[in-house]
Amino acid sequence: MEKENEIAEKLKKHLKNNVFEVKIPRERRIFVKIGKTALKDAVKYLVHELGFTHLSTITGADTSEEIELIYHLAYKGSIELSLKTTVPKEKPVVPTITDIIPGAVLYEREVHDLLGVAFEGHPDLSPLVLPEEWPERVYPLRKEYTLEKLRKLTESTES
Amino acid sequence: MRYGSIIKVPFGPQHPALKEPENFMFEIDGEIVVGVHPRIGYNHRGIEKAFERRTYLQNIYLAERICGICSDAHTTCYTQAIENLLGVEAPPRARYIRVIIAELERIHSHGLWVGIAAHEIGFDTLFMYVWRDREVVMDLFETLSGNRVHYAMNTIGGVRRDIPADTVPKIKHGMDFLEKRLKYYLNVVQNEQTILKRTSGVGILKPKDAVELCAVGPTLRASGVKNDVRVDDPYAAYDEIPFNVVTHDGCDVLSRIIVRCEEMLESINIIRYALDNMPEGMIRVRVPMAVPPGETVSRVEAPRGELIHYAKSNGTTKPERYKVRSPTLGNIPALCKMLMGAHVADIPIVLAGIDPCFACMDRMTFIDDKTNKKWVWTMQQLRRKTRK
Amino acid sequence: MKSPWLLHFNTGGCNGCDIELVAALTPEFDVERFGILLEGSPRHADILAVTGPVTLQVKDRLLRIYEQMPEPKYVIAIGTCAVSGAPFKDCYNVLGGIDRILPVDVYIPGCPPKPEAIIDGIAKLIQHIAEEKTRGKGK
Repeated sequence: MEKENEIAEKLKKHLKNNVFEVKIPRERRIFVKIGKTALKDAVKYLVHELGFTHLSTITGADTSEEIELIYHLAYKGSIELSLKTTVPKEKPVVPTITDIIPGAVLYEREVHDLLGVAFEGHPDLSPLVLPEEWPERVYPLRKEYTLEKLRKLTESTES
Repeated sequence: MRYGSIIKVPFGPQHPALKEPENFMFEIDGEIVVGVHPRIGYNHRGIEKAFERRTYLQNIYLAERICGICSDAHTTCYTQAIENLLGVEAPPRARYIRVIIAELERIHSHGLWVGIAAHEIGFDTLFMYVWRDREVVMDLFETLSGNRVHYAMNTIGGVRRDIPADTVPKIKHGMDFLEKRLKYYLNVVQNEQTILKRTSGVGILKPKDAVELCAVGPTLRASGVKNDVRVDDPYAAYDEIPFNVVTHDGCDVLSRIIVRCEEMLESINIIRYALDNMPEGMIRVRVPMAVPPGETVSRVEAPRGELIHYAKSNGTTKPERYKVRSPTLGNIPALCKMLMGAHVADIPIVLAGIDPCFACMDRMTFIDDKTNKKWVWTMQQLRRKTRK
Repeated sequence: MKSPWLLHFNTGGCNGCDIELVAALTPEFDVERFGILLEGSPRHADILAVTGPVTLQVKDRLLRIYEQMPEPKYVIAIGTCAVSGAPFKDCYNVLGGIDRILPVDVYIPGCPPKPEAIIDGIAKLIQHIAEEKTRGKGK
């Protein structure tokens, strides 16, 4: 767990009090929670200085009060660091990271589609997975939409 | 922005002439692709939401059906995630069985793909031969699990069925047969002029682009980048089994074919080693229905590349959040890059080169930059175009 | 009767049924011995073989393909998703079962059905078509 600890320490040192929590549950897995304003800086540091060149995906989750974003980055395909931050539901906006990791382009689009998070500076946030007739501003992964509610909504747009 | 040109916003957000946007929209200048716009809702079913509605046990069934070609990769990734949240480990024998099933799946998936790629090039004899030989693996799946597709071997805590000693000779015999056939196919793909002409130098993906665009699997390894989850982030019994990670420096469609053929040969060796060194003992541990609160990331090397699941539990019998990122999605930005500057006639084979789920590549929209005309071509129509 | 032309259409399934349908074409199973040929255009197809649970994106195109087929035409639902939508029946982007929008002549359940089962279903349909013709009924 030496390498994992080393990475966590370096990140804490770089981001200072923007790091809220660090967990290393087992080898090759690090979970770091940071403040939203430190997101871009954290990603830049991880990619350019610490060698986390691979973005596996971006998870978005509705935690009732907020929307949680988790950026899953890999070091040499081996150590997976999940960088977590939250945005308020009323204003779910974060900067894009596609200028640091071009491969983030579709992951951000997917989170935008399903949770309504806006990634400022993204080249194209048009729908990725939802159909054309999908009702506007209905984000299926938000907790307020149950499966029944979603089916009622889509059935009404069908007619 | 350097990669802004990969994803070009087409003229206006609405296309009144096209009621159903296709999965790929290409901007072309003459016969050359100058813009690629992916939109992949064709088989978006809304599975992640459905996960939250089902118990952890029921979700094995759902995870399996995310993909009919690599269903075992999904259940391996899923059961690993839940085992991690529960703080349990599958017993050693189960981990070896997981490897054997996963590698059989890799052979079936790559074999299926080689046949499809051959069909794409117009080499239907090769397609028929490969799919006939692939039946050896389908037969083994049926013998070991009772089903040819969706073998349901994994459960939370291990595997549901053992590999009985009397099936081992059948598996080994199948591997011997396939090894001979695969060596022959490898020779064919590297020497047959039809294949070389259509795939050599086509669909180039430079290593730097592959990494920046976060490509995965054989697509990544065919650009010389040596990453494979089985070695980098070992799971099941892979840390105890010696094998080679196959890479190739060609960066083209031909390299992707060669990598997959060689990976199948590696899979045969892995299966043989696993059968010979499989420990005795239990094949599963019993686990509780409710999972304590926590979160985890699980990764496997599916046939198409890195598969990642993220799970969050809340102390109940159902997940709070379950996220799946299939390898094909991971390769679409790289695919777009490969297609930029490509000839329209090469679109089908380059598309096939990343081994996408083939339902979503059925029809494509084209926009001609010079004339502003928009039209839709099916894959069949596109195949009829020849390179001048 | 002339060899029926079969058009295959996937409505957003996991591809499990599709690969077993294609396997039905290969020498091992060889659906072509029944005189069935795979056709690309709806305008020449007699039988529409549908897999998948019908995602919302694909629904209109499925209808359009059916409308483009000339009479007499027949529909086969291959796989449990096409038959009823399960296990995606409650998913938000899924209609669930093709008979919600098309008349189905043959249901072939299975997840996926084996190539033999698919061929059996198709053979039953062909027999049914032949019987209809001898009885002087068209569809």
